[in-house]
Amino acid sequence: MRTLSDDNRAGVAALAVLFAAVLCLLAAWPSAAGAAGDVFVAAPDIPAEAYPAAGPVSPRVTVWLAAQMHLWFAAFVLAVPIFVFILEAVGMATGEKRYDRVAYEFIRVSITAYSITAVTGGLLLMSLLVFYPDLMKYLSRVFGPTFLIYALMFFSESAALYIYYYGWRRMERGGLKWAHLGVGLWLNLSGTAIMFIANAWVTFMMTPAGLDPMGAFTGDLWGAVNNYLWSPMNLHRFIANIAYGGSIVGAYAAFKYLGSVRETDRAHYDWMGYTANIIAIGALIPLPFAGYWLTAEIYAFSQQMGITLMGGVFAWLFIIQAVIIGALFLAANYYLWCGMGRTPGGERYVPYIKYIAFVLALCFLVWFTPHTLVLTPSEARALGGQYHPYLAPLGLMPAKNIAVNVMLLFTFLSFLLYRRSARGPGVSWARGAAAVQTAIFTAGVLNIVFLGVYYGYYTNTVYKVASSIPQVATTLFVFVSVSIIEFIAFRGPGKGREWGSMPARSQYALVLIAVSFTWLMGLMGFVRAAIRRHWHVYTVVRDNSPEAFTPSIAYAAKVVSVGTLVFMAIVVFLFWLASLGTDTGAPGSSYTEDDL
Amino acid sequence: MRSFLKLVIFAVVVVGVYTLFSTSYVPDISPEPPPERPVAEVGGMTTEELVSLGMEIYNGRGACTLCHGAPGDRAPGLEDIARVAKERIEEPGYNGAATDAAAYMRESMVDPSAYVVRGYGVAGTNDTVSPMPDVTSGEIGLTEAEVTAVIAYMESASGGPVTAGQKSR
Repeated sequence: MRTLSDDNRAGVAALAVLFAAVLCLLAAWPSAAGAAGDVFVAAPDIPAEAYPAAGPVSPRVTVWLAAQMHLWFAAFVLAVPIFVFILEAVGMATGEKRYDRVAYEFIRVSITAYSITAVTGGLLLMSLLVFYPDLMKYLSRVFGPTFLIYALMFFSESAALYIYYYGWRRMERGGLKWAHLGVGLWLNLSGTAIMFIANAWVTFMMTPAGLDPMGAFTGDLWGAVNNYLWSPMNLHRFIANIAYGGSIVGAYAAFKYLGSVRETDRAHYDWMGYTANIIAIGALIPLPFAGYWLTAEIYAFSQQMGITLMGGVFAWLFIIQAVIIGALFLAANYYLWCGMGRTPGGERYVPYIKYIAFVLALCFLVWFTPHTLVLTPSEARALGGQYHPYLAPLGLMPAKNIAVNVMLLFTFLSFLLYRRSARGPGVSWARGAAAVQTAIFTAGVLNIVFLGVYYGYYTNTVYKVASSIPQVATTLFVFVSVSIIEFIAFRGPGKGREWGSMPARSQYALVLIAVSFTWLMGLMGFVRAAIRRHWHVYTVVRDNSPEAFTPSIAYAAKVVSVGTLVFMAIVVFLFWLASLGTDTGAPGSSYTEDDL
Repeated sequence: MRSFLKLVIFAVVVVGVYTLFSTSYVPDISPEPPPERPVAEVGGMTTEELVSLGMEIYNGRGACTLCHGAPGDRAPGLEDIARVAKERIEEPGYNGAATDAAAYMRESMVDPSAYVVRGYGVAGTNDTVSPMPDVTSGEIGLTEAEVTAVIAYMESASGGPVTAGQKSR
């Protein structure tokens, strides 16, 4: 009979605290669930003196860090069950036990993270209630019914997670294995529902809907939920969570790989790191497209909000974003290149690496070239203006779009070469297939460059942004068509891979990816909230607190860095806890080397 | 333990580099403070005060400079708007209701789609819908008095006589 460990008992207690807090909020919520026609919630005009005095504590930074910490953990605990579910399904389909082992190991790490997610969620809720009571009163009157659903989903997710984890061994065989997979699906549906509900609250604050012309809520709850940003935010966060979860698990694998002594353990964690990295980068690739939709909806809601985001003071933030995403791509590629070294058939592709690296570096430089330069008067005179005569065009969106798409394609190329290094031709026409792949890839790159240059610089301004859609379509076409050819023509046996022989330096790439993802999430979370400027609910409820001003990017970067370091410290602690909790009856503990 | 410490140090260094880059390479621009509460009356103001208020709104809360005169050619320039407005009213394609330059400027601010300058409409609308918001609603939310002040500023900046707000004072 397995019992709850101490940390999990603490987790259950934390869940109870959060649930009690949600119930308190529900109790404070008046009968907004009445007939829609009876509801009238005027947008409050909160006077400065209505904000509770906080003494030396900064209410905004407190809420900011609590929210960010909650989001980081929530992203992790939502993402991990998604690919645990996929891994378990793959394991059932292939009969390979290593999938079950790694899936169980992932879920063991996430179960403690789940407790911390609940703790940080409770912290966020409490700090909001303490520092912004009038705002919370307004939001609870608008979204009251969703709070109840949120609480129910939270219970549902908790129940599913504990059954999924503790029932793994008992439900390992036969029909019970299918039932276990069903619990995994239940877990994922509950988690995703929780995220969608919370997204409705956050996006309503940015792009409020379901209100009358004077900003009063009259009961159109679905209108408030289904605001401009709800669907794009749901998609963007869903994909980003998978990428993020993959990166954290990759860092865990790196941590374990470097500390492993046994050959079998090194092989296992090498494979785990590789799988997590592929998931992270695989999810990262469609993320810019989801981000594009999100930004387009911001513009559709309010041109001014869109321009504040992309063309105003926050434009510089996207230069930082470019640097970090560039670092992510370079690290991911570097990891793949190192991986070719552990593959006997990889040497033939090594000469190509320098060309890929050159293209990636070039794209990286284009991406982080700013358009407007901050210059002293004498520098501006010497330059002839605020814009560099040759480099300024690289600061515009068309150049960035070219750089991003080409970067994605060359990362895809790295993956193809990596895959090909362990595979051989599976059909007699493989040579012709490779030529077709090369032609599609080359034509795709040329088309992306042409679309960006011609429509970006030589036609009406309207087409500058619109041309990004065919560019994205080109990238997706290359991905899909080249992949189909690859999986048909190059599925033959190759020289295989020697798991466990990755150099130590490659593991730092995995850590770099995890840290960069974390920091980037914090930064983008800042800008998403900051474009509301001095509004709690944009144009409806004004923020009149002493901290209503928008902080500078440098200030935000410092807050994000502090948050990242705290988060990473807790994650390291979780990894350590997970290693303490290794039980001898766990799936995979009895596996032999042949299973790896 | 040693490899673990190396990983921790590496992670801290990465965060440090990102922080240093964000605080050193990126210009430290402090966004504008939240705008004051709207001005409801301009009746007691002199012309200079009205123009000064208009300039403050034009460059601040009105968010005009985000598009007009900004890089990227998002909206028509307004340097000579008092003269240009008169020409536009007389164009055969003009279908708004303004009869003088000040009325044209007011119409462009509160009902931007009444007349859209060629090439500046929302994509796909054949210049029948303007991307500009009604400045009396949403985040900008100017009062009638503030719209008058902005018109006075644009008239003044164009080098012509200031006619806006003369009747109300």
